[in-house]
Amino acid sequence: MHQSINNDFLQKAIGTPVRRLDALDKASGRAKYIADMKFDGLLYARMIRSSRARARLLHVAVPALPEGYYYISSNDIPEGGENRLYMITNDWRVFAEDTVRYIGETIGLLVGPDRNVLRDLEREIKISYEDLEPAFTIDEGLAVKGGPIHGEDNIFAEYNLKKGDPDSIFSGSYRIVEDEILTGFQEHAYMEPQGMVGEYKNGKYVITASCQCPYYMRKAVAGILAVDQEDIVVSQAITGGAFGGKEHFPDVIAGPLVVAVHVIRKPVQIVFDRHEDISFTAKRHPSRTRFRTAIDENNRIVGMDIDIAINGGGYQSCSHIVLQRAMFSVNSVYDLPNIRIRGRAVATNTFPSDAFRGFGAPQGIFACEMHMSHLARALEMDDAEFKQQYFVQTGGTTVTNGMIHEEVKLPEMLEKVLESSGYIEKNRLYAGEGAAKAVGISFYNHGGGFTGDGEKEIIKARVRVSRDQNHKVTIYVSNVEMGQGFQTTACKVAAKVLGIPLQDVFFQNPDTSVVPNSGPTVASRSMMIVGKLVERAARQLKNSWNDQGAVDAEEDYVQPPGIEWNSTTFQGDAYPAFGWGICAVEVAVDPATAEVETKGIWTVHDIGVPIDDLIVHGQVHGGVIQALGYGSLEKLEVKNGAFLQNTFADYIIPTTMDFPAVESDLVENPYEYGPFGAKGMGELVFDGAAAAYAAAVQKAVDRDICSIPVNPELIMKLRQA
Amino acid sequence: MAVSYVPATFEEAVRIRRETGAVPVAGGTDLMVRYRSPAGTLPDFPWPVMFISGLKEMKGLFLEGAELVIKAGTELAVIEHSEIVHPVLREAVRQMAAPALRNLGTLSGNICNASPAGDAVCVLYALGAEVELTSSSRMRRMPIEHFITGPGRTVLKDDELMTAVRIPLHSDSASFYRKVGTRKANALSKLSCTGFITVTENRIVDMRLALGAVGPMVVRSAELESQCIGMDLNQFSNFKPDLRKQYAELVTPIDDQRSTAEYRKETTLNLIDEFFMLIEKELS
Repeated sequence: MHQSINNDFLQKAIGTPVRRLDALDKASGRAKYIADMKFDGLLYARMIRSSRARARLLHVAVPALPEGYYYISSNDIPEGGENRLYMITNDWRVFAEDTVRYIGETIGLLVGPDRNVLRDLEREIKISYEDLEPAFTIDEGLAVKGGPIHGEDNIFAEYNLKKGDPDSIFSGSYRIVEDEILTGFQEHAYMEPQGMVGEYKNGKYVITASCQCPYYMRKAVAGILAVDQEDIVVSQAITGGAFGGKEHFPDVIAGPLVVAVHVIRKPVQIVFDRHEDISFTAKRHPSRTRFRTAIDENNRIVGMDIDIAINGGGYQSCSHIVLQRAMFSVNSVYDLPNIRIRGRAVATNTFPSDAFRGFGAPQGIFACEMHMSHLARALEMDDAEFKQQYFVQTGGTTVTNGMIHEEVKLPEMLEKVLESSGYIEKNRLYAGEGAAKAVGISFYNHGGGFTGDGEKEIIKARVRVSRDQNHKVTIYVSNVEMGQGFQTTACKVAAKVLGIPLQDVFFQNPDTSVVPNSGPTVASRSMMIVGKLVERAARQLKNSWNDQGAVDAEEDYVQPPGIEWNSTTFQGDAYPAFGWGICAVEVAVDPATAEVETKGIWTVHDIGVPIDDLIVHGQVHGGVIQALGYGSLEKLEVKNGAFLQNTFADYIIPTTMDFPAVESDLVENPYEYGPFGAKGMGELVFDGAAAAYAAAVQKAVDRDICSIPVNPELIMKLRQA
Repeated sequence: MAVSYVPATFEEAVRIRRETGAVPVAGGTDLMVRYRSPAGTLPDFPWPVMFISGLKEMKGLFLEGAELVIKAGTELAVIEHSEIVHPVLREAVRQMAAPALRNLGTLSGNICNASPAGDAVCVLYALGAEVELTSSSRMRRMPIEHFITGPGRTVLKDDELMTAVRIPLHSDSASFYRKVGTRKANALSKLSCTGFITVTENRIVDMRLALGAVGPMVVRSAELESQCIGMDLNQFSNFKPDLRKQYAELVTPIDDQRSTAEYRKETTLNLIDEFFMLIEKELS
């Protein structure tokens, strides 16, 4: 099956493309996703959910159940077990008790062999509530409408950062420009909906799941049954896409599932329908960012006072970490003096927000890029001309008073984008014509790996690479293939180090009883952090290549030298290295309908060194188009606590007809502590395109744009204003 | 669970309809979605259903006298690719949904669905289409605007089947069609606008304008259209502002999950302006 794989990368640059190892199975339909897998005696579960955003839960009346059917709730959690999920924070409950905090909160599971019967039984369940006053927006959360949902003040987390002397800038002698930038919810729209099967086998609870983070799930659910983490085995099913939606949220399904398996001792499946998945899974955090920027008499930025608030929904989960990344990203690629940043993650009664590609950075970067472009407009300068004055340089200072260690290639990248997009000439021409056309541009970076010392202190990744007696090599890591290509690129790294053909290197979907914990598949860390450990383990293996029998090599994470971080004060190097990007988008706005035609998309990225040119380009295209969807089409409103656009007919993600091909370019900039010089890139390529699009429309219609999605309704409103 | 029937012949379909009132399902592209049920369970129809996509007697399209007859079971893809269909109707069909849906869905199903946002329905209003309804005892036909009485409501009787759409052949000097969808492909309408203009010796002999998704039903005004008949360029240009104002009163859209009332109204009026410019071009 692998005979036609191109092994040219062994002689040439490692980026020389190969056919992906999963390509044939996925393209031919042979790949078995969780809903396709067969289990003997499988039972099905329907999640019974809250229909109220905020209420006292008075009573759940369950009809008499036929034999072989079960209703599972918090009453079934065994003695010593806890009704809470050990996610990043452990506030999210397995089953609601006493109160409900959002529409869709799990109340129980209905389990049995026939799905038609389950559907009929579900209709007979009567839940009585006493409604309480809900808070849905950031403002309502901050105003503690209806009383606190969390703590005294609904603040899940609040942080303050200071760079330079921000207090000095509002002395009265400077021009102050105020701004407010808003971003909305976003649905992950991964390939297959959430799903998993739980079994009880040989004294262990085995969960086969579409997921990104097998070890996270193990940790999240062990305490519910009061068992050791080793008694929970998580095995990853083929995962067609995740985007952060399968980082923590699967824990919310796995919790009730293990309780059901504990009671019933038979295999139980929970697979969401698409409609359920859009309605009742976590989304990207909405954000509101306020700026007060001081400008001196030479039209230079003297300082900024920034206030970021994100909507965390009913439970905290990872909202505080998302907030941190949003704050650390809110100066984008600029080294500005005198910065104050206040950040708050706010509790509300919307569905809890959670991880999504970029993890706060897209919100922070969008806010910064739009605010900078508004300053440029106020000063009657071009965006690119204004922004490039503040590009951070090697040795420059970040908002956490850390240092940029690597070479910053932004000027070279900017030259490339200006040339490929024709930014300057086109904008000059279009402005002269008064045509509703323009080219917008954005700048962005993304730190690879966990924030601060998270890799060293929390994750502590370990990988194993083994060679059997037939000289076949297997990579054991807990990171997953989820469409991004890591299976293939990890194998390329090992093959290249060992000088053996790709078909002799194997990477199986991880199972926590087999692989060491190399951490979750998140934070653009898989290649940069785990790939580096694979490279090191392969080198170790190479030294013992001629030993008899099977040989194992293990490697543990080591923090690169010179990285300083204080996790209490958030001072120092939040990230060891960054990916960098520039995106230009050309648009034409229809005079009658305000529909936008995207004429061209040009990007240049610095991701260190690509491990596979085609896979990297796939990530660039996917990330940029996903971001353009976020920026233009993907309106997701909450009405009375429920998502209003809850089908793919109404929640509008782009098709291939909506955007032209992305013209993607790279600059090489090898990173010493990444494998073959690679840095993180999976999230970087999402971070900037929404701002480039908004900036283009802003220029075309000559109005400040302060929110996304920039849809025709918004443009029409701005044009009339 | 709903009872379902699969008639072998058209006569049998008519009989089952009379005896049980079973709702006919052709492509099922609306009904299967509207009455969807969790994976692994049967669709959740609240009434008996009758699957008619296998009935050859109900398929095909052909010219008959001065009419194009599209039989009720004819798939949208067939209409899209047929040269005897008015190009504007073909274009509207081409912009509906995705190829897989057009291979299953039917124009008659779209009409019976009676959504004010049905794109092809808007064109049918402008073309003056009639529908043909058949029961075991009679056959009747009526204009589409009499058939549809409200969102999701029609005058189809419990014992009737829609058997054909009949579209008078129409020759125009110029036509205007614009669908504003939620995206560029596989999109539902935010609004749509269909216009036809026929000019002889620099005077309007026929003008039609139909507006979709701007009210509970497709909007077409015979009264406003007739006021334009006989006008030359000068007369029409003088009348235009008043005409626009009168159309604006008929445009009463709503906010929903796809767009806003404000956007729908403003955009529809902009498209009416574009159509009026086309009329002026034809008159000069």
